[in-house]
Amino acid sequence: MRRPPLALVFLAVLIIAVGETAGAVMSWLRPTVERYALARIRANAAAHGLAGAPEYDEEVIARAVFTAEAGLSFLHTHAEGLGPIVLLAGTLVATVVRGARLRALLYGLLAAGALFPLGYLAYALAVLEYGRDEGVALAERWVLTPLGSAAIVALAVLAAALARARAASEPARADGAARSTPPA
Amino acid sequence: MSAPRGSARTAPAAAADAWRLPPAWVLLVAVLLIACAEVGGASMVQFKLELSRWARGQMLARPDVHGLVGVRDVDEPVLDEALTKFDAGLRLFHLHGEGMGTVIVVAAMVTTTLVEAPALRRAILLLVTVGGAVYPVGYLVWSALIPYQGLARSRAIAEWAVWIPFGGAAIAAMWLLTAALALRLLRRRPAGAVP
Repeated sequence: MRRPPLALVFLAVLIIAVGETAGAVMSWLRPTVERYALARIRANAAAHGLAGAPEYDEEVIARAVFTAEAGLSFLHTHAEGLGPIVLLAGTLVATVVRGARLRALLYGLLAAGALFPLGYLAYALAVLEYGRDEGVALAERWVLTPLGSAAIVALAVLAAALARARAASEPARADGAARSTPPA
Repeated sequence: MSAPRGSARTAPAAAADAWRLPPAWVLLVAVLLIACAEVGGASMVQFKLELSRWARGQMLARPDVHGLVGVRDVDEPVLDEALTKFDAGLRLFHLHGEGMGTVIVVAAMVTTTLVEAPALRRAILLLVTVGGAVYPVGYLVWSALIPYQGLARSRAIAEWAVWIPFGGAAIAAMWLLTAALALRLLRRRPAGAVP
């Protein structure tokens, strides 16, 4: 199996490292993360619709903190999952896809897709800065959807390339088998 | 993929841009971890009731550890929370075992192929394999200790005995590998070139 360009390998390994670190931050630095989240929510009180009524505000704050923590958790799980997928898909592209231009396009799409988990970091930060609903919508529209789509398109094109390579190899294999059969 | 470094089948036969196989012991550890995680997932489903009953029995036998007072309305939420965490520990072992097994294989393959300095290569392989394989076991330790030690103490034990040292080792390995690849990328050495 051939390996993809060093830059793609680097990106995949970097994303796995970020994912592992996010898991540790979530667990070991949870109180610090919570304090930071609370401070940012209070600093952006208008965006979060805080009304000054403790009972109402507490519920809004709790939901926003939960969503921000969920963003970190998604970063952890998606980064650990997508890193190996990008590496495996990149290896298949390097090994199976023939055209240099198509290979370059697929590497580019996979590189963009590898950054998808970072979208969840943007998601967590956007929730704190712009409010829960607005933050989630922003992160989904501008970061998660484009990067996730890049990964999906790359994998779909790779699947098509694999199918095409298989279809192309079938007649050649049949031809080779016929030639190697000794005449009766 | 080509044979591991040092093997008689290396260099001339192997393509310059091919992946190299990590050492067999690394692959063995990773595959064993994935297999254990799969068995853990299956056992969790198959013996869910028995495990739950066992944990509940152990907790009821240690009321002081769990702060049980003998009043149903007070004790039930405490037991429920402990049982939820007990179950979560088993689930997290399953998830992290499968995930870290894959990460070990991937990181070891990249390290074996692209890290040229032998000492650094060995250090990364050791850290990622040992750290990555033992870290998920911490979730089993946590679960197993909850009935005996209570929530807070079991978590502290798992954290200091397993998660911090072994999880830290796996994280250190991944950042060392990232740094090694970044250096290689900056130097722009031809892939697979013999130094």
